[in-house]
Parts: sequence; C-alpha cells; structure tokens
Amino acid sequence: MRALTISELKQYDGRGGRPAYVAYRGKVYDVSQSFLWKGGTHQALHDAGRDLTAEINDAPHGDEFITRFPVVGELIEGPNES
Amino acid sequence: MAKVTREMVERAGVDVEKLVELLVKNAAAELTTYYYYTILRVNLIGLQGESLKEIAEVARIEDRNHFEALIPRIYELGGRLPDDMKVFHDMSACPPARLPKDPTDVNAILKVLVEAERCAVRGYTQICNMTAGKDHRTYDLALAILNEEIEHESWFSEFLGEGPSGHFMRRGESSPFVSKFLR
Repeated sequence: MRALTISELKQYDGRGGRPAYVAYRGKVYDVSQSFLWKGGTHQALHDAGRDLTAEINDAPHGDEFITRFPVVGELIEGPNES
Repeated sequence: MAKVTREMVERAGVDVEKLVELLVKNAAAELTTYYYYTILRVNLIGLQGESLKEIAEVARIEDRNHFEALIPRIYELGGRLPDDMKVFHDMSACPPARLPKDPTDVNAILKVLVEAERCAVRGYTQICNMTAGKDHRTYDLALAILNEEIEHESWFSEFLGEGPSGHFMRRGESSPFVSKFLR
C-alpha cells in the first residue's frame, strides 16, 4: 500500500482535474468518483487533500461515508510533520 | 442583500460565505429532487406503485416549496444562484435521485426516495447545527424544512418495512412547517 505524508496528500485536492483523496484514521481514501466531492469540496465545509479524522465528529453522518470509498494508501508522518 | 442581517450573522461567528454556499447547494438539491421525483412518480404504477404515488407527489411538491423558501434567504445573506442551470444541478448537496435501471422495481424506487430524503435530513441538520443560536432566521427556515424532510423519510421508510412512521400523510394543504416562509 502506498504511503503518503500530509504534504503529499495535499496534492490530491480534487481541483483542476486532480484526484480527490481524503485521510481518515490513518488510511487514505479516493473520493474522486463521488458526486458529493465534485471539485474537491464536500458540502462547502470539507476539502479533499486533508486528514478528516477530526472533522468527521461534526458531520451529520458516520464514518461509513468515508470508508465506503477505495483505500489507496496509508497516511504517515513526514519528516517535519510531528 | 440585507446588510445588517448579514453583519449580525457574521458577528455571531458564522462563516456566511460557507453558509450561503450550503444554502445554494441545498436549494439545488431541492429543485433537482423535484425534477427527478417527477420521473419517479410517473413510474410508480401497478398495484404496488399506485399506493406510493400520492406520497411521492406530496414529497415532490414540498421539495419544490423548500426550494422556493430558501431563495429569499440566500439573497438576503448576499448570495445568488448560478446563471447556468447545469452548474446548479452539479453543485447539488445530494446525488441525483435517478430512476432505477428497472423502472418496474418499486422497491428500488423506494430506496432512491428514502436515500434522497436521508441526504436532505443530514443537510438541514448540518445547517441547523451551524446556525443554532447565531442566525435565527436561517435556523428557523432550516428547522421548518428539516421537519418536513424527516416526515418524508419516515413515510418512505415505513413503506420499505423498516418500521412505523408514527404519523399519517398530509390532510389537506402541503408544507405545514414551511408554508409560513411562502407567503
């Protein structure tokens, strides 16, 4: 499985035709095919290319709305990300 | 735009740009759902389908009412609707409630209907959470819409055999909660 740092994840922001990835609890999910992630944003409040582990607590749904998408990697800590 | 209205909401700590975007996305969901429900409704035929047609029609009309009720608030807060209808469709807060591949499968149509309502319930819950105690007018509107979306969900859920809705269909006029915003 591919390992991505937070700064590498930021490149997958779903804008300009780039894939949209989001991280949740250490796994990276590809949400590019979701209607609800068009343009790399979700419900005007959440952006692709980020770790959403904390943000999910404020969402009006459970984590099944993330974990249903394909896992494309794991989130690791980069050299300057501690 | 209602300048002081917007200022009050901003001062209460609400990100008005994000709130307006959310309102526009939910308005798009309402209008597109009205469109897709039109197709679903006409395909509700036969012994099973006919029993659902009336309830789908009520949900369809009320979703259109929700669209109408949201528009003034969007403009009051300084927002606007996209010029292009296709852009509006594609920014919907909920996925298209398309007719299933087998249009005679009433159960599949019911699942489309209940998922659309569940998406709406989540959306208005989010808006209520964002605005509670901060933006009273948007909260009041979102809560009124949420009340109707919850009833729609429970009707369709009941038909799917998930449990009793606990209440009956509309008797008489539609949109008992939202009608005050339509005057």
